[in-house]
Amino acid sequence: MTKVFVGMSGGVDSSLAAALLVEQGYDVIGVYMKNWSQDLPGMKCPWAEDLADAKRVAVKLGIDFRVFDFEREYRDQVVQYMIDEYKLGHTPNPDIMCNQEVKFKLFLDASLDQGADMIATGHYAKTSDGNLLKATDENKDQTYFLYRVTKEALEKTLFPLGDMTKQQVRKEAAARSLVTAGKKESMGVCFVGQVGMKEFLGQYVETQPGDIVDKQSGDKIGRHDGAIFYTLGQRHGLDLGGGLPYYVVGKDMERNEVYVSRNINDDNIWRQTIELQNIHWIDESSERPRDVQVRIRHRAALVDAVIEGNTLTLADKQRAITSGQSAVIYSGNKCLGGGVVV
Amino acid sequence: MCTVAIQLRVKKCYNTRVNTPDSIYLDYAAAAPVDKRVLEVMQPYFSEEFFNPSSPYAPAVKVRREYEAAKDRLAHTFGAKGDEVVITAGATESINLAFNGIKGDIITSKIEHSAVISAAKHHGGVVFVKPTEAGLISAKSIAESMTPQTELVSVQLANHELGTIQPLREIAAVIKQERETRAESGNKTPILFHSDASQGFGSIDVHIARLGVDMLTLNSGKIYGPKQVGLLWHKPSVKLSPLIFGGGQEAGVRSGTENVAGVIGFAKAAQLATGKLSDTAKLRDLMQTRLLDKFPQAVVSGHKKKRLPNFLHISFPGIDAERVIFLLEDEGVYVATGSACAASRQTKSNVLDAIGMDDSLARGSLRLTLGRGTTSEMVNVAIDKIVAVIESEYMRLEGYVA
Repeated sequence: MTKVFVGMSGGVDSSLAAALLVEQGYDVIGVYMKNWSQDLPGMKCPWAEDLADAKRVAVKLGIDFRVFDFEREYRDQVVQYMIDEYKLGHTPNPDIMCNQEVKFKLFLDASLDQGADMIATGHYAKTSDGNLLKATDENKDQTYFLYRVTKEALEKTLFPLGDMTKQQVRKEAAARSLVTAGKKESMGVCFVGQVGMKEFLGQYVETQPGDIVDKQSGDKIGRHDGAIFYTLGQRHGLDLGGGLPYYVVGKDMERNEVYVSRNINDDNIWRQTIELQNIHWIDESSERPRDVQVRIRHRAALVDAVIEGNTLTLADKQRAITSGQSAVIYSGNKCLGGGVVV
Repeated sequence: MCTVAIQLRVKKCYNTRVNTPDSIYLDYAAAAPVDKRVLEVMQPYFSEEFFNPSSPYAPAVKVRREYEAAKDRLAHTFGAKGDEVVITAGATESINLAFNGIKGDIITSKIEHSAVISAAKHHGGVVFVKPTEAGLISAKSIAESMTPQTELVSVQLANHELGTIQPLREIAAVIKQERETRAESGNKTPILFHSDASQGFGSIDVHIARLGVDMLTLNSGKIYGPKQVGLLWHKPSVKLSPLIFGGGQEAGVRSGTENVAGVIGFAKAAQLATGKLSDTAKLRDLMQTRLLDKFPQAVVSGHKKKRLPNFLHISFPGIDAERVIFLLEDEGVYVATGSACAASRQTKSNVLDAIGMDDSLARGSLRLTLGRGTTSEMVNVAIDKIVAVIESEYMRLEGYVA
């Protein structure tokens, strides 16, 4: 019997994933990955409740349950990466890093060490012969977060929810009386929680107030709490009074200045070509098409593009493409890989 | 939230199983339902006799008198006077208040409730005495830890995980001896004896003169009274240092408008808690015998004789107790792991650690605590279900040899 270690977060998706695997006849072992257990001032990380929920579901499915402690690795590789990127003025994506370094590397390796044949997660995605394919539910598709996973890892991965919609998942979980069936969706990264990125980063990065400068006139028109908190194309939270809205069109980390403009068509916000670095191809060996589709953030619409070397040329201009974020490349239903925007 | 049927059957809080047969609650050491008779006497003080006891008009004065009378009745149940009692919001606050005025060193045990351990650590200068394997804090171990600077000794009446009853009178004798030694040698450092009697009050004799303590913490929620009500009794000679400042209620030691309904309920609960408990001990022994017959490898912890009559702490080698709890909840049986606070946090209980239980055995520990009106029928049904669940877990585990 194929032995599958399924990552169980205590949420409804991974709970149902485990239940489906049991029903499909796999020898299933539930694993909670302990990545972050620290409570920061004013925010309680619900890891203990999540762990208890995951275990409760595993016990009721009659399967073995284990806890893998990746807290140190997660802090060193995911949290630190995120903080470093913000310090550079970039907009990083810790979920992508978590999949690359923790779930599809550490978790996979530890599972194989302990006798697993395959691993599984509750992601909305599909695999086929080591290829990564979009989920049936386009709206929930999570391949954006998975583009840095290797072919070797995908060959050993099952995504039991790949053909389901979120609604179906909730319904099926409720039909099985899983205690997590009605649980609220966890928003973003656990450790950032409800307080938001600004408060979280404030714990780790020393920030200085600085000027907000109107790019066209060069006038200082306001103050900010720290340039790292601003991201390209951002409109809200600038506190610059009435009139037409301002948008962030750039920032200078050295001078700690944030540049804004009332011109919604500012060249800095709208880009048609993207330079990529740290490109990762899921299948490095096979031929890749020149005409592809690109997603520049999770759930963003796919845009036709041409890739030549490290340069993506988009069919249309796209708004707010930011350094540090990922551009993920597709050919039809297949996720080919992607890279980090320079 | 939960509707609590009187007697011991607790209605389900949540939707899915409301209409199934009654559930069996075996975790009275964690919480007890408010007794119907307690609720009844509390009722008028919410919307009718709602007055502030500090107000000057007659109906408020009446409430003040009833409040003071309830404190007296409450204090009488353990041989004290009402004005020696400070009402607090639960036992944790009472413990923190007891520790607050202490300047010198503290001796306590490694198996106290986390409220005592945390308050002691916060205070600093503390020695944690090791218990015996049965969870007993010997008077000798207290005597050996004593220094001329010791100002407070705090030992629980009974252990909250094992049910072991501590020899408070013998410890009190050690403290009396130390006082005499200090008087002879001219050492003016005072020494006080405090006990957290949250577990045990209501099940065994609690009388301040017989216990020989200077301060005593009691809790209403564990004796079928309302939660968030507790008290600190202190000898009139003991000067307490307030934690909460304000209007000067409770003789200036604990400000805040009096919790009249809570104290009326606490007093009633304490008066009701004097019933005989030999039947409870018989049911506990029945549980213990049945589980040990079925699982001879199981280990019962706590003192064989000096144990609260409603406590059974039992450990099953190789078993993960938390799994057992999750399986039993589906059967409508609610029990605790060896330590309620430690569940899911993957931290070992300080009690089991201190009595030298190894980690894997500690992991397989259940605490079963009986309550008022637990019947033999309920115990037998619960044990059938516990046996079935543990057998299924043993079968699941590889390499298990029956």
